[in-house]
Amino acid sequence: MNRVSRKVMMAWIGMGTRFLPFADAATIDMPLSRLLRLSLFQVSVGMALVLLVGTLNRVMIVELDVPASLVGVMISLPLLFAPFRAVIGFRSDNHRSHLGWKRAPYIFRGAMLQFGGLAIMPFALLVLSGGGNATSAPAWVGDFGAGVAFLLVGAGLHITQTVGLALATDLSPPESHPNVVGLMYVMLLAGMILSAMLFGAFLADFSPGRLIQVIQASAVLTLVLNTCALWKQERRVSGLMSQPQHSKPEFRIAWSQFIQGGHALRRLIAVGFGTMAFSMEDVLLEPYGGQVLHLSVGDTTKLTATLAIGGLFGFGLASRVLSRGADPFRMACYGALVGIPAFAAVILSNPMQSTLLFAIGTAGIGFGAGLFGHGTLTATMNLAPRNQAGLALGAWGAVQASAAGVAIALGGILRDIVAAYTNSATPNDATGYDFVYSVEIILLFITLITMLPLIRRVSGQAIREG
Amino acid sequence: MSDDPNKVWPTGLTIAESEELHKQIIDGTRIFGLIAVFAHILAYIYSPWLH
Repeated sequence: MNRVSRKVMMAWIGMGTRFLPFADAATIDMPLSRLLRLSLFQVSVGMALVLLVGTLNRVMIVELDVPASLVGVMISLPLLFAPFRAVIGFRSDNHRSHLGWKRAPYIFRGAMLQFGGLAIMPFALLVLSGGGNATSAPAWVGDFGAGVAFLLVGAGLHITQTVGLALATDLSPPESHPNVVGLMYVMLLAGMILSAMLFGAFLADFSPGRLIQVIQASAVLTLVLNTCALWKQERRVSGLMSQPQHSKPEFRIAWSQFIQGGHALRRLIAVGFGTMAFSMEDVLLEPYGGQVLHLSVGDTTKLTATLAIGGLFGFGLASRVLSRGADPFRMACYGALVGIPAFAAVILSNPMQSTLLFAIGTAGIGFGAGLFGHGTLTATMNLAPRNQAGLALGAWGAVQASAAGVAIALGGILRDIVAAYTNSATPNDATGYDFVYSVEIILLFITLITMLPLIRRVSGQAIREG
Repeated sequence: MSDDPNKVWPTGLTIAESEELHKQIIDGTRIFGLIAVFAHILAYIYSPWLH
């Protein structure tokens, strides 16, 4: 180690723990203010999600004239990282450090990656679009740059969210898990809504300079939010390094151990099917409202709000009921049961030409998805073996994020295929949409069948490992 | 951590701990630097210094 490093190190020692992000030991209870602060990482994740899937999707196609197929590839790149959430969670479970940290280093690196991706994103996109002088550079530079940017942001947000949720699980006692989950979901949703509105407002009069400002501002905000969220949160475990390490922990062994306990596989399958069922309509509801029910653009954006409000009510109700000790799987089943008539209402709104029915169906979908998501995440937290919280939440996140991503893409593809096969001459034909909604109802039934045994077997506190 | 024989004066941070903290900072700075270089290259390709 060189002299400068040694000096800086001595400075850290001199500063001690007061000015460094170390939590004071032995704070058992978790006050709401601290929990709220921790949930800021979800705001940054929500912001990144909206930017990738919503704002940049539109900006690249409309303002920057990038081919839609290339945009599709770029936007699905972060999805490649979703399955690795289980590995990330596992690695953070077994992290060995002198400082006694397991989660903080990962959240820090996740935030750093997301920041880095967002920092190069605007330039990468401008080069990708071939603006300015970029035409003189070979085309692969733009593809490569944008690919790296999207991968970095995706990796960052998956790491931050997985390890952040694991940290939240560590910090809160089991009886307050329902409230923690509710808060995390609400903050994610709040982050998405707020940043969608802000991005929209700031990018209203588009210019390359403005794009750079907006995306880089979100990069800085990522670091600020995550630092605030992480500051003095994680309890330091002393003696992590003094424990003898028999052999390097292997992911395969940990995974097979995890998958055997508490019907983990069945739970993950249920999460996958349920998430797919509640995600396929994601990009279809707005065009359905516009093409089939002839709603105006303003009305269709209100749809998104309706969906979100339904979700908020779902999270709220689930938090209330589950914190009184109800079975989270029962709650998730109620979510699926609400979803079935909601999708039916959306299908029926076309023959009846009823906007009201459509709105009720949309709110119902949001409500059901809220109950389902809350129920499954609470169950994951409650059933996570104490030394495998990261792995359990990583597995949940991997299945959830992959299923959602695949389902959203599949929804659009299925609608196009069915619409092409039925050879609809009229543009307001609903066959394609109805097919997707019907598939979602079938998926919800499959989810219910998968989950029903979990309600009976995993009742109350009977199976709590750790 | 109070029973650690390597305890350094009153702050409670040991040599090993501060080394690890330092490693995080250095890693962060390296990532930061790499990203800055990459961003500058892309910006230069787009327009040899933005006007």
